[in-house]
Amino acid sequence: MTAYTAYARKVFLGRSAYRFDHLMSILSTILQFFIFYEIYRALYGGEEQVDGITMSMVTTNFVLSLGLGTIFSPDDYFLPNKIWDGSISTELLRPVSFKGRMIAENVGNSAFNLIFKFIPVITVALLTTGMSAPADIPCFLLFLLSALLGAGVMFTISFAVQMTAFWLVNIWSLTTIKNVLVNVLSGSMIPLWFMPEWMQGVLNFTPFASIYFTPVQIYLGQLSYGEIAVKCAIQLVWIILIYLIGDLLWKKGQRKLVVQGG
Amino acid sequence: MKDTLHLMAVYTKTTAKAWFQYRVDAVLRSLAVFLREATGIIVIWFTLLKFDTLKGWDIYEMLFLFSLLFLTYGIMIIFFTGLRDFGKTVRDGSFDRFILRPRGLLFQIIFVNSDWFAAIGHGGLGLVLFLLSAGKVGIQWDLFNALYYILTVAGGVLIQGAVFLFLAALNIYLLQTESLKEMLYWNMRKFAGYPISIFNKFIQIIMIYVMPFAFVNYFPAQFLLRKSDMAEYPELYLYLTPIIGIVMYLAAYCFWRFSIRFYKSSGN
Repeated sequence: MTAYTAYARKVFLGRSAYRFDHLMSILSTILQFFIFYEIYRALYGGEEQVDGITMSMVTTNFVLSLGLGTIFSPDDYFLPNKIWDGSISTELLRPVSFKGRMIAENVGNSAFNLIFKFIPVITVALLTTGMSAPADIPCFLLFLLSALLGAGVMFTISFAVQMTAFWLVNIWSLTTIKNVLVNVLSGSMIPLWFMPEWMQGVLNFTPFASIYFTPVQIYLGQLSYGEIAVKCAIQLVWIILIYLIGDLLWKKGQRKLVVQGG
Repeated sequence: MKDTLHLMAVYTKTTAKAWFQYRVDAVLRSLAVFLREATGIIVIWFTLLKFDTLKGWDIYEMLFLFSLLFLTYGIMIIFFTGLRDFGKTVRDGSFDRFILRPRGLLFQIIFVNSDWFAAIGHGGLGLVLFLLSAGKVGIQWDLFNALYYILTVAGGVLIQGAVFLFLAALNIYLLQTESLKEMLYWNMRKFAGYPISIFNKFIQIIMIYVMPFAFVNYFPAQFLLRKSDMAEYPELYLYLTPIIGIVMYLAAYCFWRFSIRFYKSSGN
């Protein structure tokens, strides 16, 4: 266990070295938030609500999903980089589990982002716009649980996509396309309430709404306890399903691993 | 002159060959850039299915507004990739090689490298959006408007090229300008797809006077579409794009010529 904590710590400390880049990325998230905020203010044009959704619910959706997005930031190139430069061959010989190390480094990275990105972003958003408070305390606690599951969905998607690097070597294109899908369909750029009905149907067959939208709905108190249980179960099913696919690729991939040079 | 054209052709051919060495990967990469850039458009399309208009702009007018942004970037990057990546050229010392060759520096930087994935991804997207919207936004495509459009695209290319040239020249003093470019260019560009009148005054001022994206797409689109929110800005702004493009480019070019004399090699 201590080996994994050390990996997590190493990444956490490593991140503190690039202060200016970090500041830029916080600024970039805040700008992103303001763009959406201003767009929706123009779209609402002073209306109290649209389809029962108030402006402050929309604001909450953006603050939470962009905020959580800063924490849910898997290193999409963890495995591909090691395949690319050939260091995967020595990595696999080490007495620590590669997948365990992958999780540990991501946890270290997310912990850093939670403190130095999420908190500043949320603070600015709280001070400048009208975000709703959580519906009540149980909702807030369940929101935290659901957000944790959402992170699980995000990380297993990245895990599964990374495994294709055994065959494709260069997965920049695939990763970029994955990120487009996540951005458009998870609710971080358009609140899913406003998706057309046919699209909502399509979304039910994808894991994307489980990432941010389920936690947001719970936070706002839109779901009954029964619905919350169902939605969280769906999140869990996605995590298991995507992990199993990724793991299958991981096992097959190791057998066909080709290291270019050394 | 003939010699120069020949050299341009050779450079273009070799860079295109280098970028498309791995064919399947090249197609996938162009598609990925296309989709990544289309994200904002897909989002605004879904949004306007619900809300119909954004401050009076319907979906086709929005697509037209976006198309200018992508088309100009797609054309610009064919010529200015070398300036976009100029920091690297200076840092790894390969700029020294350029200095030793018997050709203009800017000429070499412009023609030795082009990011074709970006050119096809952005330019292709711009073209698709233009074709989707140009017939549906009520523009009379007569000779005058067509000429205006061509001049304004050229102006938009020059404006963005000038920014890249200016930042490249700044590299000679600073070595690292990526973060500055991120803040000034890429972050501001995120606002540029939308009618600037929806944003607060501070952002509008930056978009018009500091990093003038408004002249790349908003004012040119307004000239052709005449939406009501144009009343917030001076009428004159509709005609300025080509002039601003030329002035900014000349200013950046002078700054470049001036700065290049101070170049000290960082490599060894």
